[in-house]
Amino acid sequence: MTPDIIVALVLTLAVLIGGVRLLLWHRAAGALASPVRTSLLLLLQPIAAGLLYMALFPPDAADGVSSLRIATANTSRLSAAASGSPLILLPEAHAISGGEAVPDLATALRRHPGVTSLTIVGDGLGPRDIDAARGLAVHFDPPPLHPGIRHLAPPPVVAPGARFTVGVTLAGLPNATTELVDPAGRVTDSGTPDKNGHVLLAGTARAAGTTAFTLRVRRDKRLIEQADVPVWVADNARPKLLILAGAPGAEVKTLRRWAIDAGYDVTTQMSAGGGIALGDAPVALDAASLRRFDAAIVDDRSWSGARGVLLAGARGGMGLVLRPGGPIDGATRSQWQALGFSFSGPGGVAPLALPKVDAEAVASTRQGIGSEEVPVDIATTDDYLPDISRLGLTPGGYDAVPLLRDAGGATLGAWRALGAGRVALFTGIDSYGLTLTGRRDLYGDWWSALLDTVARPVPGSRVLTDTGWVGERMTLCGLTGKAQVDGRVRVLPVNGCGGYWPTQAGWHMLRSKDAASAFYVQPADALPTMRAARDRQAMALLSAAEVQQASAALPGQSGTPWIWWLGWLGVSALLWWLERSRLGRHSAPAKTLQSAM
Amino acid sequence: MSGDALFALWIAPARRRSFANMLALALPLILALAVIGWRWGGFVAAILVVPVSLAVALAVARQRMARFDRPWLIRSLDTTRPELEDSSALLFTDEAPASPLQSLQRRRIAARLDQGAPQDLAPAWSSRLLFLSSLFAAGLIAAALLWPRAGEGPPILAPSSEGLPARPGIPRLVGQNLRIIPPAYTGLPVRDSASLDARVPQGSQLEWTLRFNPQASTPKLLMLAGQPLALHPDGANWIASRTADVAFLYRVDPAAGRGATPPLHRVDAIADAPPQVKALTDSLTMVKPGQRSWLPAFAATDDYGVAANARLRVTLAIGEGENVTFSEREIPVSGSGPARDRRFTPRLDFSTFGFAAGGDMVVQLIVRDNRAPNPQEVRGPSLILRWASPKQPESSGLTGMVNTTLPAYFRSQRQIIIDIEKLLKEKRGIAPDRTLARSASIGGDQQILRGRYSQFLGGENEGAPELPTAEAHGDGDGHDHGGPPVAAPNVFGEKEDVLAEFGHPHDESPASSLDPETRAILKQAVDEMWQSERELKTGHPDAALPYAYKALRFIKEVQQATRIFLSRVGPELPPIDASRRMTGKREGLASRQLEITPIEQQDGPAAAAWRALGDGPDAIRGQIDLAPLDGWVRTNATRLPDALALSGAIDVVRQDPGCTACRAKLRALLWAAMERPSGHLARRRPADAAGARYLDRIGGAQ
Repeated sequence: MTPDIIVALVLTLAVLIGGVRLLLWHRAAGALASPVRTSLLLLLQPIAAGLLYMALFPPDAADGVSSLRIATANTSRLSAAASGSPLILLPEAHAISGGEAVPDLATALRRHPGVTSLTIVGDGLGPRDIDAARGLAVHFDPPPLHPGIRHLAPPPVVAPGARFTVGVTLAGLPNATTELVDPAGRVTDSGTPDKNGHVLLAGTARAAGTTAFTLRVRRDKRLIEQADVPVWVADNARPKLLILAGAPGAEVKTLRRWAIDAGYDVTTQMSAGGGIALGDAPVALDAASLRRFDAAIVDDRSWSGARGVLLAGARGGMGLVLRPGGPIDGATRSQWQALGFSFSGPGGVAPLALPKVDAEAVASTRQGIGSEEVPVDIATTDDYLPDISRLGLTPGGYDAVPLLRDAGGATLGAWRALGAGRVALFTGIDSYGLTLTGRRDLYGDWWSALLDTVARPVPGSRVLTDTGWVGERMTLCGLTGKAQVDGRVRVLPVNGCGGYWPTQAGWHMLRSKDAASAFYVQPADALPTMRAARDRQAMALLSAAEVQQASAALPGQSGTPWIWWLGWLGVSALLWWLERSRLGRHSAPAKTLQSAM
Repeated sequence: MSGDALFALWIAPARRRSFANMLALALPLILALAVIGWRWGGFVAAILVVPVSLAVALAVARQRMARFDRPWLIRSLDTTRPELEDSSALLFTDEAPASPLQSLQRRRIAARLDQGAPQDLAPAWSSRLLFLSSLFAAGLIAAALLWPRAGEGPPILAPSSEGLPARPGIPRLVGQNLRIIPPAYTGLPVRDSASLDARVPQGSQLEWTLRFNPQASTPKLLMLAGQPLALHPDGANWIASRTADVAFLYRVDPAAGRGATPPLHRVDAIADAPPQVKALTDSLTMVKPGQRSWLPAFAATDDYGVAANARLRVTLAIGEGENVTFSEREIPVSGSGPARDRRFTPRLDFSTFGFAAGGDMVVQLIVRDNRAPNPQEVRGPSLILRWASPKQPESSGLTGMVNTTLPAYFRSQRQIIIDIEKLLKEKRGIAPDRTLARSASIGGDQQILRGRYSQFLGGENEGAPELPTAEAHGDGDGHDHGGPPVAAPNVFGEKEDVLAEFGHPHDESPASSLDPETRAILKQAVDEMWQSERELKTGHPDAALPYAYKALRFIKEVQQATRIFLSRVGPELPPIDASRRMTGKREGLASRQLEITPIEQQDGPAAAAWRALGDGPDAIRGQIDLAPLDGWVRTNATRLPDALALSGAIDVVRQDPGCTACRAKLRALLWAAMERPSGHLARRRPADAAGARYLDRIGGAQ
């Protein structure tokens, strides 16, 4: 039972009671009562009740307009001049005569309550107005996007010294070249888009700290667009790595050296046969000790002995990297296959196609300065090719995710989830050859990629890669409780997400009680095409989702109640005056006097 | 005398005088032009200017001379000599007089003509003009010699570009000049730089001339790293000088720290590059038949000049096989061509070096540049001249080694022949059964030899003795047959290696590397041996002898015909016997810990400054303590790509910590000066509750 029905019932009851009381009084009054007055009172009481009801629940004030034309940014005067439904000018639109300027779409809809369909002209609605248009039939014919950067995917958190990849999608620029420029202003990678406009560009990080690379799009040497690529380089606590090898060798020696230099806390165990172990202080291979390690690199010879405990450790969250020391035997093959890496290929050992050496100018931007211990060593195309091979088996299957590929497209590394941990398989053999022939960076990239993927996860700061713009609301998600941006602005999450209106470009920190995330805000005029493409997509979703609801009427906008209040006040005053006046009362005081006499 | 001859006689002095006059007028001007050219463009320009201007002067003089023609002569004779009665025109024409009157008149005045001399008609020397021209030329020469040239005389001050606001009472740089005097050996001219930033050859003398307004009291040149350089007053200017041995940053401090800090200036010292030597001849040359000498060619280039005298190191390797002797000597060679690009083509006579067939001659050019005082010496690439031995044919392209044929074999056949001949000689003296027995015994030898050869050819030999090189061969020998063949899983449809499965292949027959022709001859030899053997065993040594000789001849033929190529194979290692592993002495063997020390990452201050200058959580907006970074840059200057620019940027940020552009510039320079740590681990984040549940489910399926 809604309030208006209750009120209506109460009012009806009151009118009835009032009417009965009036009639009783009229009968009791006898000749004194004037039928005119009684009938007037009887008539006015329901009118007053009706007006009171109307004042409390004013009827819908429809002005008869059911559709609007909304002029948004870049609306041409020609398209706005077409006659038809009323034209509404949003703040982004130019001033067009005959249009009604409103601060936002919601205001326009409040002013025109009966509207059920909108025709959008110009570039489309922005995030401010999208929600207001929900529930209406939206007609929008999107203009073509400006040529430029349609989407920019900056890397998530990057470790110091790591190689990272930036994804770019271009719109309307099939012959453009894209360049990634490092903070020193040198071109560190360049590429041309494929037929869908996608380009992947790579760069390398240095020490921890915020870093801004620059993306440049050129066509015929002319700069089309330029954008900042924010890179968040953050260091982590020392990870603990276990290296198990069935025999000492160059591969395990190089791996140990690389991992120690890369900041791992390494425990190496190399079996030399006859119960003799070389490497670091021996550790017991059991569940308790494996829980302390973040990752383990295990070769095929040591795998067979410690299989069960390693797999149990991996299920507990440890990362496991399996590598062959040479051609593997049938038992190992079937065991690895049982992990989810379905093999294809002839077996044995196959040559590994190394990727081409970078041009020297690019390679020098990828490497930092050298030191006495590690001088700069850049491979050239004339250099001796290292003798590196891979297992003649390519891991595949639905469970395994390819991670590394050689230049010939063969999968070198793949991983899959195993309980809380991950297990990866690296099929390269004698990869240490890379470090001897000037390809130390490639060696590091391969092993970093493997260990980054599988190593035990730890909670810590993360980077939100959604792009935000100054002056525009952005949604920050993944919040578990109250959070603060830069220690100043409080964000109150609803369903884990909160809104934030950035006023300054650059890096911002979102800190909550137990987590911290960094996010980057682009200047208001940066990446216009990407912003337009995002709005376009939201518009398309809006049109598709809401068409079926278009016929459903908008919940009524209430009309203004004050006119009803005035009417009720007038009628009530009349009633009051009628009740009080002598009109229609026939010399009642005389009769009273007479009876008193 | 004909009219033309008379004309030539009378016109010649006038023409000569005009020509000489014109040249006399032009010569001072030519001289002046030559001096100007020498001053402006050096000696070469002067040499070029003289013939060109002389040619112009000659052309003008010729043209002037041509004005003295027949009408001029007639006109001038008529005006100066009244006795010729205006009829001189009659004299200088070859045409016959038209009338008797004309010829009469001509005779009359011809007699009078000689009363004057042709020299009287010559125009006077235009001495006035000559004087003016000489004066003008002298003026030009004086101006050219006295004209101030860059780097000579007092410098001309350029307006200062410090961009500092003028403040009353504080001296300010208003005029500046930097004179650069490169080292003499570079041959570069002295130049004046209006800017205080310069790139100069290393070792140049720098001279600053500065002017301040109002006059400074103790101005200095403050070096960013090092002692300040005091300026000395020189009239109204202040001067200082120093040698640019290394690049440096400095600023002009007129007011001893009062007032705004002036900007930094940079002087780069460009080091003299060592010379580059390029070989113009191939790195390996073969001696052609009849060649007596060799002309290796080198080109040596340098930024300032290569010394004309170089040394050529000649290394001779003479001899063959193991008997090779080396000798090394250096001979002086001189180059030709311009100093910056010299060619060296020494002539090396084989006879003077004792170079002979079968030897190698390796030459290497050692050049110096003209840097003073320490010339830079560079060794060029080595060139090899090879004189192939006539006895040793080319062995390139063969993977095997070359052997001469088996001498033992054929010696044995000779021994059999000797034995047969000995038997035939003694046949008469001994009993027939003895003869038969000895013949059979020689036949046995022949059989053994035949067996060896046929085995060498790859044929199986029933009960034949082994090759002398092959001992008895069984399970107990040095190499291992690997026991029973391992039953490798046989994949259906795969090609089977029957030999590998059921036997063990001895190496292929050594003779399989022979060419078919030789094989055929060897086969014939074996056939003859067979015949010889048969005759010997049946007791007919005399019948066997021809076969034995034939066999010997064939073998000799084989020996002479070819060599045998034995394929080079590695040693056949026996398979590992697992049961014998770890059964030896194991004293002193134990588990060991291998120590390893991580490489120290050294760009700590750079990384700290990088974070402080950025816009992340560790950024410092205001004053940053840049002292550690400055110290780090100084100690690591050799590793950094441009340490000086980094020092300059540090100083700028220190002066003005709020300048965003300066901070960005320092950060950009820092990026290029940081080490790239070897890829640290980027930790992934744990899955949320739903993710963990999902992983748990799929993990449980394992």
